[in-house]
Amino acid sequence: MSPPATAAPVLELRDVHKSFGGTPIIRGVNLAVKRGQRHALIGPNGAGKSTLFNLISGHYVPSAGQILLNGQPIAGLTPYAINRRGLSRSFQITSLFPRMSVAENLRISVMGRHGLRFSLFRPVRALAQVAAEVDEYLEKLRLTRRRDDPAGALAYSEQRALEIGMALATNPEVLLLDEPTAGMSREESAYTVALIRAVTEGKTLLVVEHDMSVVFTLCDQISVLVYGEIIASGEPEAVRVNPKVQEAYLGEEVAT
Amino acid sequence: MSSRARRLGLLPAFGGVLLVLPLLLTPNLVNAVIKMMIAGLFALSFSLAMGQAGMLSFGHSAYYGLGAFATLHLMKAVERSLVAWPTPLLPLAGAAAGLLCGLAFGWLATQRTGVYFAMVTLALAELLLTLAPTWNSVFGGEAGISTMRMNSWSIDFASDRGVYYLTLAWVAGSTWCLWAFTRTPMGRLALAVRDNEHRVRFLGFNTHGAKTLIFAISTMFTGVAGALLAIANEATNYTIFSAQASANVVLQTFIGGAGTFFGPALGAAIMTFFARVTSDLTRSWLLYQGLVFVIVMLFVPDGIGGLISVHAHRLRASAFKHLTLPYLVCLVVGVLLLVGVVFTVESVHVVLSDAYAVLRRANGGALVPYSLFGRQFHPLSPWTWAIPLVSILAGAALLPVARRLTRHGWSRAVGESAA
Amino acid sequence: MEFLIVSVLNGVVHGLLLFMVSAGLTLIFGMMGVLNFAHAWFYMLGAYVGFTLTRTVGFWAGLIAAPLIVGGCGVLVERYMLRRVHKYGHTHELLLTFGLAFIIEELIKLCYGDFPVNYAMPAYMKFAAFTLYETNYPFYRLFMGIVALAMFAALYVLLTRTRVGIVVRAATLKPVMVEALGHNLPVVFMGVFAGGAALAGLAGAVAGAFFPTGPNMAVDFGTLVFVVVVVGGLGSLEGALVASLMIGLFISFSVGLNWSLSDLLALVGLGGWAREVGGLLTLQLSTVAASMPFLLMLLVLLIRPAGLFGDRQ
Repeated sequence: MSPPATAAPVLELRDVHKSFGGTPIIRGVNLAVKRGQRHALIGPNGAGKSTLFNLISGHYVPSAGQILLNGQPIAGLTPYAINRRGLSRSFQITSLFPRMSVAENLRISVMGRHGLRFSLFRPVRALAQVAAEVDEYLEKLRLTRRRDDPAGALAYSEQRALEIGMALATNPEVLLLDEPTAGMSREESAYTVALIRAVTEGKTLLVVEHDMSVVFTLCDQISVLVYGEIIASGEPEAVRVNPKVQEAYLGEEVAT
Repeated sequence: MSSRARRLGLLPAFGGVLLVLPLLLTPNLVNAVIKMMIAGLFALSFSLAMGQAGMLSFGHSAYYGLGAFATLHLMKAVERSLVAWPTPLLPLAGAAAGLLCGLAFGWLATQRTGVYFAMVTLALAELLLTLAPTWNSVFGGEAGISTMRMNSWSIDFASDRGVYYLTLAWVAGSTWCLWAFTRTPMGRLALAVRDNEHRVRFLGFNTHGAKTLIFAISTMFTGVAGALLAIANEATNYTIFSAQASANVVLQTFIGGAGTFFGPALGAAIMTFFARVTSDLTRSWLLYQGLVFVIVMLFVPDGIGGLISVHAHRLRASAFKHLTLPYLVCLVVGVLLLVGVVFTVESVHVVLSDAYAVLRRANGGALVPYSLFGRQFHPLSPWTWAIPLVSILAGAALLPVARRLTRHGWSRAVGESAA
Repeated sequence: MEFLIVSVLNGVVHGLLLFMVSAGLTLIFGMMGVLNFAHAWFYMLGAYVGFTLTRTVGFWAGLIAAPLIVGGCGVLVERYMLRRVHKYGHTHELLLTFGLAFIIEELIKLCYGDFPVNYAMPAYMKFAAFTLYETNYPFYRLFMGIVALAMFAALYVLLTRTRVGIVVRAATLKPVMVEALGHNLPVVFMGVFAGGAALAGLAGAVAGAFFPTGPNMAVDFGTLVFVVVVVGGLGSLEGALVASLMIGLFISFSVGLNWSLSDLLALVGLGGWAREVGGLLTLQLSTVAASMPFLLMLLVLLIRPAGLFGDRQ
């Protein structure tokens, strides 16, 4: 289904540590995500999944270790610099521009990708290329009919779709999705998974997810994070039968 | 679409009125309109930072003042024939001063957000206010600096009329620029920063840089407003940096409505006009302005501009008939409350004034009648205090009626417009 | 030596007064996220209440009534105004208190005129506490310091040793959790707001009798108070104390020193050049003493943006 993974990892973490006030949260994580992979990061609550995402996306600076994007170190860079190098993320708690329209939300993302950052001397309506891309994303996200509504007025699952769409619209190589189906009903969740599969065709994905059915339908690689360490990494079936994983995390979930 | 057409028709009409105004008004009123336009531009540029990007600055008088001083220095240089600079282009000096200082101060202030940002901008303005009177060479000490306007391009700038058209041209041009800004990618980015700065950072934008630039654009046009003031007054001193000037622009912007584009200019023009008109009648204008501001903050959070825009966008012209009676009742309530408050404030003012104390001493300490609005009132007579008491009580009693009527009228009007 | 001791004493007393006002401000901010712009105007209100009662009833009556009356105003402001606009966000709350500051100042001007009033301490308090070399040190300055210290001790005991104090401190950190535990958060908010206002009122009544009591006192003192809470870290009581003392000392020393940048440059042999350039370089420290706190604040913001004791943005 997905394009063949090339040998060199597009995103690589080498012995990454992070402590908050002396308390180690991430304790030496090594992780390699190859191009085109759909990589799930799972683990019990408090394992440090969100912290790891914040480290990769530049919200936090690692206490030690290296993070490489296409072989270039990105640890310690600002979020915007990391985004410009081709890594974008969505948020677990929906983070939109609630008073702006859906189309405008996407337009901000698309503008950044086209380098229209501090552009002052032409009206935004005249940017045909940007407008076309926004329409394309609206179509893909099935939000065309709501394009002029304020983002704050959307239904929850639509907001989640827009949340992912904004991260996607910066056209990154690597997309980090933080619990894309959090707080959704089973139907909404299935809808969102199908949407993610469709819109992220050909992208490298790293997904934090709690819902195992989502993980197994969406991803082709799984890493298990427990107490700040990766205890297993590999194909879903291999991870499922890994005794350490069974013991630490999956056992209870799979059993139910 | 019809409301859009209506608004588009309104603009040239308004411009036309402004163009012929000096031919109709007395010099004193022409001067008042000049000050209203300057206040309007000041409020518009302030609201570029506040309304668009959510940066509440309590120190915009700094850039207003710096624009004014920079322009006066250039005017002095022209006066001494050090440079040849045409008078109509003087505001460029204000723009440059505003832009440069805005970049430097803005870089510092935009490191923080929300109330921290407000405090830093306040401190920067206070810094200037305390430094200016001791720095003779730049700010002319306590006396300030003054100079003369030169005629150029064969335009007579000695008259108010010349200044009027100069101000009008610059205010119109600046307003167009500020409006156009909201349509640029940068302008849209400003809105995104206001809504959710955190997310903007993860979409590939350097938000600190963006905020610095937005702030500097705001201060640049503030500098232009300061320059226009300097040209109109031909003088200024360090008090232009005072907290009062910064406070005024905040008050006027929010009374006008920071969420709309033209609201702040409207608020500033109205407030400046009333300040001017009432300055001979009352010394309590600032109190009234403060009261209006607090009432707007409590009951009309979107300001006058917000009210107008709601009416323009949600109602059809035919639906206004449902609102005639409710608004009439609201007007009566407003007038009653206004009479009560104004009578009380002005009476207190007169009775506690030094002049009245002298009068009392001349009469052996008795509470003699005082004159207000051309009539005599006795401070101890129950009839005197019945006036404010009755009008305030009547207003307060009618207030719930007015609110109920307005609610009903509004829902019927909206219903009809939607149908 | 004499200059040193007097400056330290003046600075500490001034700092303690600043702390009395900034303590309430920083507590209110920490709990409610509201930066009460009108806080220093409560201080001014306290001074005028003290002045009015001193003339009619007596100095001590003023000292007792001022915090009560100003605290009562705080209750009204919180209950009927701030709570109303809470839903529009913190900026709106800040703006509302900004408008209130404006109204308080104009009402004061309306009732008491534009010029300072003659609010004086009782004659029996006008004596020198001690004489240092040739300087008579006024007793009242010490009195102000003692009142501030007593207030600080009372506040400290209240916050650390009582149940109410524990709830208040918990509410500064996690308001939602405190509410979930069954405490009536709106009442706690109102209490803290009123308490903060009362402290400012007391400080005003005490300090107004020594420093000039006029319609400008709020804006002059208020900007200093804002500097204190930003430097100390908004929401931090310890930070407010340290920053108050720092700024008090800073001001009292810079008022007495005639240094200028040219003197500094003279140390590296550039004195002559600096005096020729003039302007900023020859401004004496004493004449720009009023600017110093703002410079300090900018410095702190550059080096440690969260303030000395602040830990959150």
